[in-house]
Amino acid sequence: MRPRDNLAYAWQTLRSQPMRSALMMLAMAIGVGSVVVLTALGEGARRYVLDQFSSLGTHLLIVIPGRAETSGGTPGVLSGVTPRDLTLDDAAAVARSRQVARVAPLNVGAAQVSHGARGREAVILGSTAEFLHIRHMRLAAGRFLPPGDPAHAASVCVLGAKMRSELFGAAPVLGAWLRIGDRRFRVIGVLAPQGQQMGFNTDETVVIPVAAAQQLFDTPSLFRIMVEARGRDSVERAKIDIGEILKARHEGEEDVTVVTQDAILSTFDRILGALTLAVAGIAAISLSVAGILIMNVMLISVAQRRSEIGLLKAIGATPATIRRLFFTEAALLSLIGSLLGWLLGWLASLGITWLYPTLHATPPLWAVLAALGMALGMGIVFSLLPARRAARLDAALALARR
Amino acid sequence: MRARDFLPLALGALIDKPMRSFLAALGIAVGVAAVILLTAIGEGLHRFVLAEFTQFGTNIIAIQPGKTQTHGASVGMFGSVRPLSLEDAEALKRVPQVTACVPVVQGNAEVEWSAGQGDSRSRRVTLYAVGPDFPRAFRMAVALGSFLPPDDLNAPRAFAVLGAKVRQELFGELSPLGQRIRVGGQRYRVVGVMAAKGQVLGFDLDDTVYIPAARGLELFNRAGLMEIDVVHDPEARPESVVAGIRRVLSARHGSEDFTITPQQQQLEVMSSVLDVLTFAVGALGGISLLVGGVGILALMTITVTERTAEIGLLNALGAGHGQIMALFLGESAGLAALGGAVGLSIGLALAQLLHLLLPDLPVYLSWTYILAAEGVAFTIGILAGLAPARRAARMDPVEALRSE
Repeated sequence: MRPRDNLAYAWQTLRSQPMRSALMMLAMAIGVGSVVVLTALGEGARRYVLDQFSSLGTHLLIVIPGRAETSGGTPGVLSGVTPRDLTLDDAAAVARSRQVARVAPLNVGAAQVSHGARGREAVILGSTAEFLHIRHMRLAAGRFLPPGDPAHAASVCVLGAKMRSELFGAAPVLGAWLRIGDRRFRVIGVLAPQGQQMGFNTDETVVIPVAAAQQLFDTPSLFRIMVEARGRDSVERAKIDIGEILKARHEGEEDVTVVTQDAILSTFDRILGALTLAVAGIAAISLSVAGILIMNVMLISVAQRRSEIGLLKAIGATPATIRRLFFTEAALLSLIGSLLGWLLGWLASLGITWLYPTLHATPPLWAVLAALGMALGMGIVFSLLPARRAARLDAALALARR
Repeated sequence: MRARDFLPLALGALIDKPMRSFLAALGIAVGVAAVILLTAIGEGLHRFVLAEFTQFGTNIIAIQPGKTQTHGASVGMFGSVRPLSLEDAEALKRVPQVTACVPVVQGNAEVEWSAGQGDSRSRRVTLYAVGPDFPRAFRMAVALGSFLPPDDLNAPRAFAVLGAKVRQELFGELSPLGQRIRVGGQRYRVVGVMAAKGQVLGFDLDDTVYIPAARGLELFNRAGLMEIDVVHDPEARPESVVAGIRRVLSARHGSEDFTITPQQQQLEVMSSVLDVLTFAVGALGGISLLVGGVGILALMTITVTERTAEIGLLNALGAGHGQIMALFLGESAGLAALGGAVGLSIGLALAQLLHLLLPDLPVYLSWTYILAAEGVAFTIGILAGLAPARRAARMDPVEALRSE
């Protein structure tokens, strides 16, 4: 039998039992579709996190005071303080490294912000002019903190978008004075709305010069130093450089942790990747169930088509030909079913992206290929037994039974 | 048809064709086993996490400076214009039903011990500057010596208590009691060693040193505490204690510039998140169950076609629509129930095996999910049987008999 005849024959068989074929394809389609949708969701979540991170800045390193001997948990969780402060001078020294493009010291705290009768508590970020560039923030109006000596505590502030609307409403804001804690600051700029970034909402913050924040919170120490390396290649060298500079400045004591953004990023990447794989694996169990279904139906079909198989053998079909016939049938079934499932999954992913525009749920190529391949493989593996049974039928007996 | 006749007729058809019944039931079994195994892991994880958190007691209320929350923690921990003071912590002891009150400053410092002859060992540790009630509040045991004594609030003696790991690293088998160590450059005398506690959610609790809170504020040059932990009477209602704390602190600060988080509340949030997770994982396993249901549907469709003559005969003998329908529904439901039972035993066996192979992976079999999986399997069986059974019931007896 030529391959074309083989295919036509198998197709004919499937068409003659539309209900049965449709159900088997449906089973395959459910399995493949769920793998495609779930990996699309996982991929969407991964991309979302990556986007969030790159919007925080590129080639970023973060210097955190304190170091733990046992490395448990993410270093970013370290909230501790240390006997030796991380100071503005440390930040200035780090900036002198060849590998470093920009440095922004950072202080964080909470304080009551009020203007006239309106007031609310807000997160206060103390930093320098460089912060705007490092964190890739944009201004909606006015200007950012003025460059100059970071130790100079100018009484100026830049408002987050939401702070502006809550404190001032529609009133003009540039040049107005407001009160943060027990000090007065003049508003010189407003940040463009950014929304949530890694659970931190920059719209609800107020940025003031780092020295002013240190006075406000009565602390000589910095919370973090944000460092931007010159390029992707210099991130690792910058990390070593910063460690050495600070060690020399801190009398040989290694009491800081330097985290590269890439390290945090790859951790998240790994976790989300593993999660996607696990979820896809669970969904793939359903493909094996679909395979069992195909085997069951084909076994029944072998039993029902005894006389037909007998006839085929009587007119000279070899066992291999018969086997190939059943393989083709199974392969055709799983192929159509899985293509259908892929289409369904793809449509569902589009629907999810349409419903939640922040989540770009696109099924990754590897998942689609794996799902299709696995479906096809399952179909063929589970048709082995029925095909063998059909091929072993004795022509005379099979014909005589009827 | 009597029930006694009904069962052999419906189940007899299943036994008559063992291979196909087995395969159809196997589909359901794989689905049920997947659901049971996955939810067992989910539930186990749930219990593990809750146990990790509740080992410090459940009647703890945390107070942090600042009111704005990000990442579930108050930003006021890092800096605040209205810090929480040691006196605040002292005042909270007078709130009704409060049994203990622990001021906390957490930091990171170098600990050093010189054994003499130039042999000096040092280690960077997590430093907790706390009040004397700490072991009682967090149910931690002291292994050697005693915890920090209840000294004067603002001028406590320079005593330190070591975590189990720090003791091991610095002193080895020697007794650390009475030894002088340096913490962040200042001199302290070791008065006790905590019992080993191990890692809690990736955080090593033994790599720590405890010093008095006032000394911690001085060492880190901080204006205020990071947190005050209040333990209340287990009999008391947390709401009334929270109200009492709010009243006292608001009166002291002039406004509500702090965040109160009862641990109960945190536990509830965490518990609901983990519940959703378990449910989602179970639903993923449910996809296989659905495919298994399609398998039963396909089998029943084939069966009805094959047994047209039999149905015609039953019809001719006077079997009603309802009876024929019940017969086929019983067959599909029986298949599903059988598959469910097999799946249950596979799932249980796999869960036990997993528990034996990986003792660290928490596995817990929850009856709710087992019953739910069986229920869903049974329902799927009935639903899958519905369409073929209706087709069988509606057959014209004359036509059906003629097809033979």
